[in-house]
Amino acid sequence: MNDLREWARALGLDRLTAEHLAQLERAAANMKRHIERLPKNLTVADEPAHIYQAKERKP
Amino acid sequence: MTELAFLTVAEAAGLIRARKLSPVEYTTALLARIERIEPTLNAFVRLTPERALEAARSAEDEIAAGRCRGPFHGIPYGLKDIVDAAGLPTTGHSKILIDNVARADACVAAKLRGAGAILLGKLSTHEFAVGGPSFDLPWPPARNPWNRDYFPGGSSSGSGVGLGAGFFPAAIGSDTGGSIRNPASLCGIVGMKPTYGLVSRRGVLPLSFALDHVGPMTRTVRDNAIMLQVIAGRDDSDPASADAVIPDYAADLDRGVRGLKIGVVRHFYTKDVEADPEQVAALEAAVESFAQQGALVREITLRPLADFSACGQIILAAESYAVHEHWLKTRPEDYGARGRERLLAGATLTAAHYLQAVRWRLALKQQTLAAFGDIDVAVTASSMDPACRIDDGDALARNYWRQARMPFNVTGQPAVVIPAGFSRGGLPLSIQIVGHPFGEAMCYRVAQAYEATMGWVTQHPSLS
Repeated sequence: MNDLREWARALGLDRLTAEHLAQLERAAANMKRHIERLPKNLTVADEPAHIYQAKERKP
Repeated sequence: MTELAFLTVAEAAGLIRARKLSPVEYTTALLARIERIEPTLNAFVRLTPERALEAARSAEDEIAAGRCRGPFHGIPYGLKDIVDAAGLPTTGHSKILIDNVARADACVAAKLRGAGAILLGKLSTHEFAVGGPSFDLPWPPARNPWNRDYFPGGSSSGSGVGLGAGFFPAAIGSDTGGSIRNPASLCGIVGMKPTYGLVSRRGVLPLSFALDHVGPMTRTVRDNAIMLQVIAGRDDSDPASADAVIPDYAADLDRGVRGLKIGVVRHFYTKDVEADPEQVAALEAAVESFAQQGALVREITLRPLADFSACGQIILAAESYAVHEHWLKTRPEDYGARGRERLLAGATLTAAHYLQAVRWRLALKQQTLAAFGDIDVAVTASSMDPACRIDDGDALARNYWRQARMPFNVTGQPAVVIPAGFSRGGLPLSIQIVGHPFGEAMCYRVAQAYEATMGWVTQHPSLS
């Protein structure tokens, strides 16, 4: 818990109580399984993008 | 009274136009129903009866003078309390923003006001559209109208509850990882997450910029199309707003599905997650119904659900942490436990994690659109289970991940959830219909074909 508290402090989260730190710990464990699924084979040309342009498909 | 409570928008609009129903009479009747039943359901964070009746009188005068603005003139509705209505607090159901009064209408609220709709009040949500259901917030969580001991879904919980309970015929929800479609599934109503960028998010508290969608929630497919017609369209003040042609969403509703190509994403609910057998049976019955109506049905395969979930949850966590970082650092005690835990998740990510997820998103989108190919829509599950008890923390935690909604926040495609019967316990089941980008009209056409055949929308919870 002390390590977690120090880590949280380093992020600026220095008002977290013990209950909050336990929540942060659970959140981190939950996020870890998502991180492990991130693909390892993205190429340098794979760009971020997230909007559609209407020209993609006319209604 | 009950008849007025469960009028559809289309029915009410016809009666109002024909001067057989007065907006004041209609609004008064719904307010009386809300006053009687709301204390058991908690759909509202704030009810605004005086403001609603003033708007109803104004609508009545205009219509009497022959100036009917369209199908939403004189129609009561509710706004999820992350959406601004000028002069009213937008709290996000949170202590953090308990005194936050909106100075202007959100784009969708302005459009509905312009169409003559009557705002009844601000609706319950999970805290900031992410943390719920919670019993440690300034307002209690909404409860399922089919059984108040059960979870109504969220985060647009008040919208789903109020529709199911006959408090109003239309509501606005938002959907970042399924928050329109989850309450639609669990409350037995219709919820559309439109194509990313089709409906403006201006004036809506953000959760995740890349995944946030605003959309209509109603009791019927036709009403949903009517409401989307009002709120869809380009808004220069929303940087993600799309410059799309807006079709007549109701024009093809009654054309049926004969000859349409319908894909079934069966692995989402049989392999990636094993859905509750009653939910699977409802899905397969729907697929069979489409085939019997002449649709060409075939199975399609997308990436595993867990890929979409991982990609979406990383983006959501990183972006929502960016939104909430200041308050998490200065006022962490003012969040509810569930909201705080969800929002702190973003602190555990690196910039590289976030960007890898954003890059992965484009690949997932392209793979999904390729798999859609020449199909018109795909059918799959929304929720994998009927609602669980609202006080069962383990079941809530388990069911949270048992859904197939996040894929279409990741890809940005339109997805509508409609009722598909009831469990043996009397709780709603649902199906999800997913379209091509800007293919909302086709989603509605297929949804209407199922709704018209099955008639689930005529069933309402007993709340007397």
